[in-house]
Amino acid sequence: MKGWLPFLLVVAIVGVAAHAATVIATPRAIMNVAMTRLAENGGPGWRHAPRTTADARNIVRPSPDLAYSACVYDLADGPMTITMAPSEDYWSLSLYAANSDNFFTRNDRAAREGVAITLVRRGAAPPPGATEVVESPSARGVAIQRRLAPTAGAYAIADAARRGDLCEAFAAR
Amino acid sequence: MIMGLLKWAAAIVLGFALGVGSALLVIGFGAQRASDAAGAWTINRLAGSQAADPYTRASVARVGLLALAQSETIYFNLAEDEDGRRLSQACRYELTGGPMPARWWSITLYASDNYLPRNQGDALSIDATSVRADEAGRWAATVSAASPDAENWISSDAAGDGFSLTLRLYNPTDAARAAPSDVPTPRLRTLSCGDST
Repeated sequence: MKGWLPFLLVVAIVGVAAHAATVIATPRAIMNVAMTRLAENGGPGWRHAPRTTADARNIVRPSPDLAYSACVYDLADGPMTITMAPSEDYWSLSLYAANSDNFFTRNDRAAREGVAITLVRRGAAPPPGATEVVESPSARGVAIQRRLAPTAGAYAIADAARRGDLCEAFAAR
Repeated sequence: MIMGLLKWAAAIVLGFALGVGSALLVIGFGAQRASDAAGAWTINRLAGSQAADPYTRASVARVGLLALAQSETIYFNLAEDEDGRRLSQACRYELTGGPMPARWWSITLYASDNYLPRNQGDALSIDATSVRADEAGRWAATVSAASPDAENWISSDAAGDGFSLTLRLYNPTDAARAAPSDVPTPRLRTLSCGDST
């Protein structure tokens, strides 16, 4: 039995390390897959999803009653400007870090005129002329718009409202 | 010499397999571990939260990626009938509820792969703006594969076995946020099983 102790010790050490690494890496890996899917079919900026149908497969558990837009951001090259215009009913802008944490949300009750933020990496100095500055815990992440749109008519209104929204490299205005 | 190397290689492979396997197992059950009950429904209070522990974060990423934090939205999930059986397309259910403590709510059906079932019924969900309710705000909906003779319908066509219902409360009241377990969640009752009506 004594001869097996080093063997069992190695099994235990490798097992604990692999267990911890898997738990920590899982949300990042799933987010990476989601960000890759969301960034497909075009360059940077908002991707306005068509009305959610039974065929939607980009993100698990989508709501068919909401109009979604997504922007995969990368702060490696500097701050970004993210804007969201208001629409008639409920809407919100939410930001997710690379580990899937929802670190920022603003809805129509808190910002009736819409949202315009400058997104910077945590600890980075905000650029001159920046509007409301929000710090991201990670360089990459996802911004998501949700607009209440339970009918085709409501979806058309929400869709029109979001067409001028920005998600791009910061430039002083 | 070779036997010794093989022994240590086996230890590393075995440890790795046990570590990864146990992690995936825990993550798979993680949503249940971090959940509270609200009637027959479950709530994960830490969905989307920066306060979530690594296990909760991993399990939520698997079944509810990009969920909003509870301050914005509370998500309730129902995966079993009143007798603890998995929800099935082969059964017909009645869902009854009333006004919800939130600005807007919806109930959506998801297949066991966590995506919307691929059906053509245009009845993937009901929500506060579309549900037909009485003067007191009480409503009843049928969950079934075939279109019922009812005002409110959620289609389970193509959902198979093991589907679930998600109740979303957007902009919940302060009371609901403080005590989501006390939210008067809808009640599910099995009407029949084994037919497609």
